[in-house]
Amino acid sequence: MENNDVLVVGSGISGVAAALELANAGVNVYLLEKDVVVGGHSASFCCKATDICSKCSACVVLDKIKEAVIHPQIRLLTNSTIRRFSGEVGNFRVEITQKPQYIDQERCIACGLCTEACPTDPKAVYAPPAEATPFSYILDEKLCLRFKGEKCDLCRKGCPTKAIEFELKPKEQELSVGAIIVATGFDVFDARKKGSLGYGRYSNVLTGLDLEQIFTREGYLRLPASGEEPHNIAFIQCVGSRDEDHDYCSQVCCKYAMKLAGLIKYQNPDALVTIFYIDLQTAGKGFAQFYEEYKESIRFVRGVPVEILQTASGELEVRFENISQGKVCRDTFDLVVLSVGISPGKNSWDLARILGINLADDGFFGTDDSLNSNETNVDGIFLAGTCQGSKDIPDSVAHGIASASKAIQRLIEFASQR
Amino acid sequence: MKTKIGVFICNCGGSINNIDFDAAGAKVAKAPDVTCVKSISNLCLEEGKKKMLSCIKKENIDRVVVAACSPDFQEHFFRQVLENAGLNGHLFSMANIREQCSWAHEGDVTVKAVELIKMAVNRARLLQPVKKKKFPVNKEVLVVGGGFAAINAALQLSRAGLRTTLLEGEAVLGSETGELGSLCGFDISSMMSEVEGDENIEILTSAEVRAAAGKIGDFTIRIRKGGDETSHRYGAVVLATGYQTKLALENELKSNVNIVSQKKLCRMLEDPNLEIRPRTIGFMFDFPDENSRLSTLATLNNALAARQKWDSEIYVFCKSVKVDSPGAEKLYREARDCGVVFLKCEARPRITADNGRVKIEAKDVFLGEDTILACDLLVAEELLLPSEGTEALSSLLNIRRDSRGFYQDENVHLYPVASEKKGIFFSGGCRGELDLSRVLTDVSSVVVSGYELLSSGNILADVERVKADPQKCVACLTCIRVCPHDAIQLVRVDGGKEVAEIFDLACDACGICAAICPAKAIIFQGYRDEEILAQIETIGES
Repeated sequence: MENNDVLVVGSGISGVAAALELANAGVNVYLLEKDVVVGGHSASFCCKATDICSKCSACVVLDKIKEAVIHPQIRLLTNSTIRRFSGEVGNFRVEITQKPQYIDQERCIACGLCTEACPTDPKAVYAPPAEATPFSYILDEKLCLRFKGEKCDLCRKGCPTKAIEFELKPKEQELSVGAIIVATGFDVFDARKKGSLGYGRYSNVLTGLDLEQIFTREGYLRLPASGEEPHNIAFIQCVGSRDEDHDYCSQVCCKYAMKLAGLIKYQNPDALVTIFYIDLQTAGKGFAQFYEEYKESIRFVRGVPVEILQTASGELEVRFENISQGKVCRDTFDLVVLSVGISPGKNSWDLARILGINLADDGFFGTDDSLNSNETNVDGIFLAGTCQGSKDIPDSVAHGIASASKAIQRLIEFASQR
Repeated sequence: MKTKIGVFICNCGGSINNIDFDAAGAKVAKAPDVTCVKSISNLCLEEGKKKMLSCIKKENIDRVVVAACSPDFQEHFFRQVLENAGLNGHLFSMANIREQCSWAHEGDVTVKAVELIKMAVNRARLLQPVKKKKFPVNKEVLVVGGGFAAINAALQLSRAGLRTTLLEGEAVLGSETGELGSLCGFDISSMMSEVEGDENIEILTSAEVRAAAGKIGDFTIRIRKGGDETSHRYGAVVLATGYQTKLALENELKSNVNIVSQKKLCRMLEDPNLEIRPRTIGFMFDFPDENSRLSTLATLNNALAARQKWDSEIYVFCKSVKVDSPGAEKLYREARDCGVVFLKCEARPRITADNGRVKIEAKDVFLGEDTILACDLLVAEELLLPSEGTEALSSLLNIRRDSRGFYQDENVHLYPVASEKKGIFFSGGCRGELDLSRVLTDVSSVVVSGYELLSSGNILADVERVKADPQKCVACLTCIRVCPHDAIQLVRVDGGKEVAEIFDLACDACGICAAICPAKAIIFQGYRDEEILAQIETIGES
């Protein structure tokens, strides 16, 4: 029996874009997500608009996620992973394990009464991040007294919709689908691996992702250590890109660093912003214009520092090679932002093994044939987004849509051969 | 006929605890036309929706007001309940008594909640249904262009079951694509024979678009081929006209034979009869503008080829190497490993002729010194421009271009290949500097968009959600000018008067025209003036 349903693995922006495209073309879609909320990394990125839109695409992500969640032809499977897989194009069978969520997403009305009732500190049941979809409360097994063997029942009693259930076991189910789209995304490079840059040791060294989340949640930038407004900020590019271990450009860091720098300058025009770089990646629709606008107000320094030290007064001393003077210089900053890059997902290897698809040399899915970036070595399994290689949001959306197109074309072809 | 409004109030499982629901319900029940007021706990859950559905049916309600959380969460699902009850989903109005009332204030907020609900009731009374209809569409697609993107788009569209016409200005397809193919390792000739053998694809060469009319699903395009002009009808149009490159050097140097383009160098590398192999080659890019993604790729590929074929010494002068495309960093490393020298300069190098060679003077930032290099051949920097005819075609189709002249000025919906006009798509280099893998991504996106729109032969859309009243319209053209989707045009009605008409399929219901119309002739269902005024008038009554 041939099957025209499609499984999309991963609900980041490319997975969501693929799912929406398929669903709008009349295909039934299963959208699988290993986390409890949909959206992946890009859902937590901040809007970088000043007086005008900086076209960072962060808002598009939330719109698309919402559209996907309410789409009648998309079935969402959160907290789920693939356990086993067999079959071939037109007739794949995929076994899924869904971890218990304890709070039924369809019954949770996000009233917050469970959190009020919870006696632990920090609370074991809490609201999801503001941007989360579905906006359903989360029960943390590690904090909940119930899972420590106690008989606490306060949140369940307090829940007006009876959405909380403790005695749940992982749910197994088998899906049968005609094609699979893998859109498992990326891992942010762990800046702790570059020990000399002090991330994790100095509180005023942040990553680009930290900054995104600070702007999303707080709306403005303050120093993590003192709560004061930073005046002298440095961005260090290519942290976890273009080095011995990463033979590629992450494609997003120059853009987000400059747009975040623009946002900082907008909120505090007196702030000094320095960007240390190897090569500026200013190509891309509309971005060259943005760069022209900020070229004068941001200090660009060629060459990336290798060491950051904290001075006695808590400032950060950055040592870098001043190329124009040909010597080593020291500059102090209140805040250093490491523009961390895109690394291959650490779960990619497991999925590659289960599905039998290849990983390329750099750890991303796929082959080195850049002209067939949606295809894998398994007929009927396609790739979307950053699990195939680094991409920015518009490129991820485009790649997701393209993978949907490939899946539809393959299923049409498959049907006509029968 | 009198309307019967049903009001459903939700206490959100008790989390709204500063509203006296009984008192609020009693006050709302006194409002005119309110047939029933129900307080239902957890309205958004299945059991809540069931109660709402049965109440709508039992009481014969024809307008529904829900007072609950922000419409952001559940509005869509409540409209679904109306549809399930046989009511039009547009006969629905929501009052946000949670985020904008209960949770926003300390203390009792019953008075405000009542006002919000009454506002919604007053709006609901005036709401009108919006029907949906299946609009038939033409299932053929026109692809303009004859290069890599266009040929691939036609092939994939045909595979997806859509008849496609490929319209190329040149006498043959793919005439500009040969070098690209040898550079990037694909075979244009096999693609061309496939496209020529495809029954679903009609090829029009030496042809051009002369005029265009119509909207999504039914475009009428006048095409001139040879001496003849004929009209054809298509459901969608794909522009894949590519880009062109232009040497950015001053005019006097253009004639210098030692200064060539990337394309010329490609041809030289392919030429088995080339007599003199250049010993030293200079490359330049990233100086006139910093959009050199494609120049970087061309330089890296050509430098490697020249190094391998001719064993030339190679020096590359640039500001930044643009490695933000797949595989580019690897190529960059490979080039450096095999001896290509990269010199990064902040300012553009000075180029002079020097005894039949080209002298390049530049200040390299790493050396911190002036460098003088005499080379046999300079591969000059190139500007990337929209292909010829881009401007003409954009004005024929009435679509905007960006500040550099490429299609797609601002991608309003951030749908990668969409134009502001529904049914017209872009693919590949005509919308900006895209490397081949991004071009192929574009092609696939265009194909699925075309498939989605046209494959079933019709599109389901709202009927007259936005409508111009022919009695009031004075044909001032304001709406036509502001419409971002080009969905409005003038039509002649009985009596010879010209009035604005909004095309349902092309309209995105953004409401700009309704807001701006000086004659208040445009009706936007759900946001009509009387609906908004009725809401405002009720404020403060209680």
